Amino acid sequence: MRQRLAALVWRVVLAGGLVCGIGLLPWLTHTDPAYTVLKARSAERAPTPEVLAGIRRQLGLDGGPLHVLGDWLGGLVRGDAGESWISGGDVLPGVLQALGASLLLMGVALLVAAVTAGLVCARTLRLGARRRLGGRRAGGTASAVLASLPEFLVASVLATVVGVQLGWLPALGWYGFQWTVLPALALGLPAGAVLGRLLDDLLPGAFGEPWALAAAARGLTGRSIARQAVRRCVPALLPNLGLFVVGLTGGAVAVEQVFDIPGLGRTTLQAALAQDLPVLQAGTLALVLLAVLATAATRLAARLLTGPALRDGALSSLHRPAPPARALPPLLYAAVLGAVVALGLTRDPLALDTGQKLRAPTLAHPFGTDALGRDLLARVGHGALDTLLMAAAISAAALLAGVLLGLVPRVSGPLVDTVNAVPPVLVALLVTAVVGGGAATPALAVGAVAWAPLATHTAALLRQERATLHITATRGLGAGRRYLLRRELLPAVLPPALRHALLRLPGVALALASLGFLGLGAQPPSPEWGLLLAENQPYAERAPWAVLAPAAVLALLGALAVTAAGALRPPRPTRTRVGVGRPADGQAEPAGAHKEPAAVR
Amino acid sequence: MPFPLFSQIDPRTMPSHRRPRLLAPLLLIPLLSSCFASGGGGDSGDDGGKGGDGSRLRVALAFPPAENLSPYGADATLLSRLGVTEGLTSLDANGSAAPALAESWRRDGDKAWEFTLRDAVFQDGTAVTPAAVAASLGKATGADPAPAALEGVTLTARGSGDRVVRITTDEPDPVLPLRLSSPSLAVLSKDAYAKGGRVDPLGHATGPFELTEANGATSASLDRFDDYWGGRAQASGIDARFIADGTARANALRTGELDIAEAVPVAQAASLDKETRRDTATTRTTSLLLNASSGTFQDAGLRAAARAGLDTSVFAKDVYEGYGDPGAGVYGPAVTWAEGKRTKPVGRADAGKPDGETVHLATYDNRPELPEVAQVVKQQLEKAGFKVKLTVREYSRLEGDALDGKFDAFVLARNTLLDTGDPVAVLASDYTCDGGYNIAQLCDEGVDRAVADAEKTADTAKRQDAALAAEARILGSDAVLPLVHQRIITGVADSVQGVILDPYERTLVGTGTRR
Repeated sequence: MRQRLAALVWRVVLAGGLVCGIGLLPWLTHTDPAYTVLKARSAERAPTPEVLAGIRRQLGLDGGPLHVLGDWLGGLVRGDAGESWISGGDVLPGVLQALGASLLLMGVALLVAAVTAGLVCARTLRLGARRRLGGRRAGGTASAVLASLPEFLVASVLATVVGVQLGWLPALGWYGFQWTVLPALALGLPAGAVLGRLLDDLLPGAFGEPWALAAAARGLTGRSIARQAVRRCVPALLPNLGLFVVGLTGGAVAVEQVFDIPGLGRTTLQAALAQDLPVLQAGTLALVLLAVLATAATRLAARLLTGPALRDGALSSLHRPAPPARALPPLLYAAVLGAVVALGLTRDPLALDTGQKLRAPTLAHPFGTDALGRDLLARVGHGALDTLLMAAAISAAALLAGVLLGLVPRVSGPLVDTVNAVPPVLVALLVTAVVGGGAATPALAVGAVAWAPLATHTAALLRQERATLHITATRGLGAGRRYLLRRELLPAVLPPALRHALLRLPGVALALASLGFLGLGAQPPSPEWGLLLAENQPYAERAPWAVLAPAAVLALLGALAVTAAGALRPPRPTRTRVGVGRPADGQAEPAGAHKEPAAVR
Repeated sequence: MPFPLFSQIDPRTMPSHRRPRLLAPLLLIPLLSSCFASGGGGDSGDDGGKGGDGSRLRVALAFPPAENLSPYGADATLLSRLGVTEGLTSLDANGSAAPALAESWRRDGDKAWEFTLRDAVFQDGTAVTPAAVAASLGKATGADPAPAALEGVTLTARGSGDRVVRITTDEPDPVLPLRLSSPSLAVLSKDAYAKGGRVDPLGHATGPFELTEANGATSASLDRFDDYWGGRAQASGIDARFIADGTARANALRTGELDIAEAVPVAQAASLDKETRRDTATTRTTSLLLNASSGTFQDAGLRAAARAGLDTSVFAKDVYEGYGDPGAGVYGPAVTWAEGKRTKPVGRADAGKPDGETVHLATYDNRPELPEVAQVVKQQLEKAGFKVKLTVREYSRLEGDALDGKFDAFVLARNTLLDTGDPVAVLASDYTCDGGYNIAQLCDEGVDRAVADAEKTADTAKRQDAALAAEARILGSDAVLPLVHQRIITGVADSVQGVILDPYERTLVGTGTRR
């Protein structure tokens, strides 16, 4: 009870801090809200002192930040979220409407994600159901590629190809259910690929557990074993699913833009840029509340799925037995990536020749040219170093922070929810407000969010791991907390968290580029990969190669990261471990499982 | 060994438990329909049923209403483009004032003008009387902040007789008829101002189309106003949608969801059929502004060197893919009188020799072509011997620094005919010591004097001459290097006729627009 109360207080403190932080944002960043509001209303209006004074009077800014914030909070208590500073309209109906559209889009996207995740795991499930998993390594390349595809690219391609050229589904608007399909695909495919990979990572462990063996021996169908295996693994993913729920609701800006959907992502983005504080506060608060609901729901679902086993510490460990690593795919991907980069480095990435605009790939320009006639191979090659170093550094830091904070879920849980609910632009603005606009700001802004899914994943794995029998047994043998953490918990949690971090590495590179318009991060004409994608997106239809080249290397990076992580998996030393199933021998019939050496003591 | 997951489940009963749970969400579907946007969509095909004549036009505009369609800000342009509002005057093709709600006007002494109204009614049925016009203009002058067209002007409007509105200004204002053509000085009926402070143009304007429904920043519906003084419009109404993304607008036009798409980006033009894309010269000029009071370009010789190093031909031809005209001066070809009267730049310095001086170049990405222009400029300046650092940000995050003179060079797309419709206004605000929008930080006595002279001139032709004399001085300072005059591309479906391609971007749909 006391713990719950503490968690609740912590949550309220975070939400309150966030709302106050937003309320003080203009004063922290020294950006006059009268000015940004004027620009949002009419970009061409010259900001003369009289005009700015007029707006300040209109918005009641003269009283200072505390006065403004106090008024807003006072109104909120009465259920009045104030009036938009830009339009003067009531905030609440607008935000609720946008939230409705976003929630619906998120719902359909989750459906797509679930199907995608199912497809990603299909092979593992099929093999696992037949108990032929042992010794085989999951491929993962296709799903890693899918996971590293930027949403806006998928969205543009779907809109142009399916919407315009084939005419199968409406290319834009938000008027009925057929309008939800394409945007939901754009959001759901990458999200589903990430979730699918995480699930696929856990499934072999579940299939390796003794119950699966026993179930097969008893003659249960492969189908129901597979179903139970999914049920066994899903609780570890539910918290991440919760993050996706909130992330897709508030952060689908690019997709909302391409398909012209009046969603919350665009609303909060515009409000953040214009410093329309009432809208921004209301929108963020709505997302934070959604995050709380999502967390509660996932926790409930996890409890329903895992049942009393979690409480009683009666789970067995989900460690996937380490099959022999296949080193070929990662080597191959690394070689291709290396070759592209090496070839590109010998060329000039900045040499413009506008006469050679958007040329298709030829011998002279193997990847074609961009809108200013620059060689794309050169740009991809030269961008690699910046992109990789930066993204890798941020991912490493996020992994460290994520695992450390994941170890203290009571503190980090509400923090994760809150951070994840804040729109990325707002995070960037808040980070800028705190640390200023230095060179490290974009990295900090992206890192400030990137740790959250990793912490959630770590916490979820840890929760399950703590409930396993071997931990109880080790504790029974007199092991201290430090020993448990160092020798049992961390070795169990780190590898999946690392693979998760690598899976998200391309996403980090894209997130970095998406902050460019705030003046953070790489600036043109830098050939950073995210920037390459963004600057060539308008030409995606006329010159597909211009987006294909950076997207392909990013996807290659994703595939490399995932397969290499698989190869990096440390071989498990034989250690005393209760309840760890040995890998079922590939060819062995279920009935032959009793031949296994007694790793289960 | 416990089997917690396994033992609780009887596989045979599983499916029957699951199915209803999966179906339950489907019951929510009717509730979800409120999550969709209202209006517009693919349903509005032929709406010929209404009155049996003319179908509704489906129009996509690039900028959603920012201030609930208040006529005093940028939304005013939107209302006038859709044919909802009108002022006393309008702009003709040559940029001079033409009759609109006022049939004629005359100047009465230095500080007074008299406008004779035509016989017109508001969309709510009341007559357009001098008193109503005077009241409407009075509300505009009282707005806080004041509309851009009235900045620095104090005017009083008063009815005089049953057809005449008399407008007096505190200072002599030779361009008042031009000023009144501004969309922000549209005339609305008394009821538009009923609710405290807010102005509601729904059904209270005088144009050929009446706004019947506004769905925030998503869409708006308009019906034809049958009693319009200029005759009944041919289209029975307009379904307007606000689509901010240029690619999305072009896509919607290609799928046949739209009849007219405003401002198609250059990058998307090639994806439209040749007949579908119509381009017209605009008063928007993209120039390179050089900071004349601090940093590298304080030195007029280096500014001249930068000018000499620029090859402006590539911008119109390659970056704008032909949808632009090479930069000739502050005013482009859309300002029709400028070309014939232009004189040579006055007082140019000799080009110096750049020796690796650093230049901090900046631009914004709200217009997708500008970062490309800036990158080409960067390369050309580097070839000329400068070292260039480029910054690209969102406009509102950049303008403040630019006005404070924090950059050495700035690529700006500027509308050279501001809300006042007066060609001299842009020179005064952008290139004089006291100018409110002086990104070039130019403060030159000769320029100031020339601009002041032009501002004082009342006669239209002489005022134009004076404006070009000032332009010659400004160009002579090399603080502004015109790169390209943009053409705006409007996507128009094959079946549509009579779209107004307005270089001032104040009109789009008129009485003759139909499909």
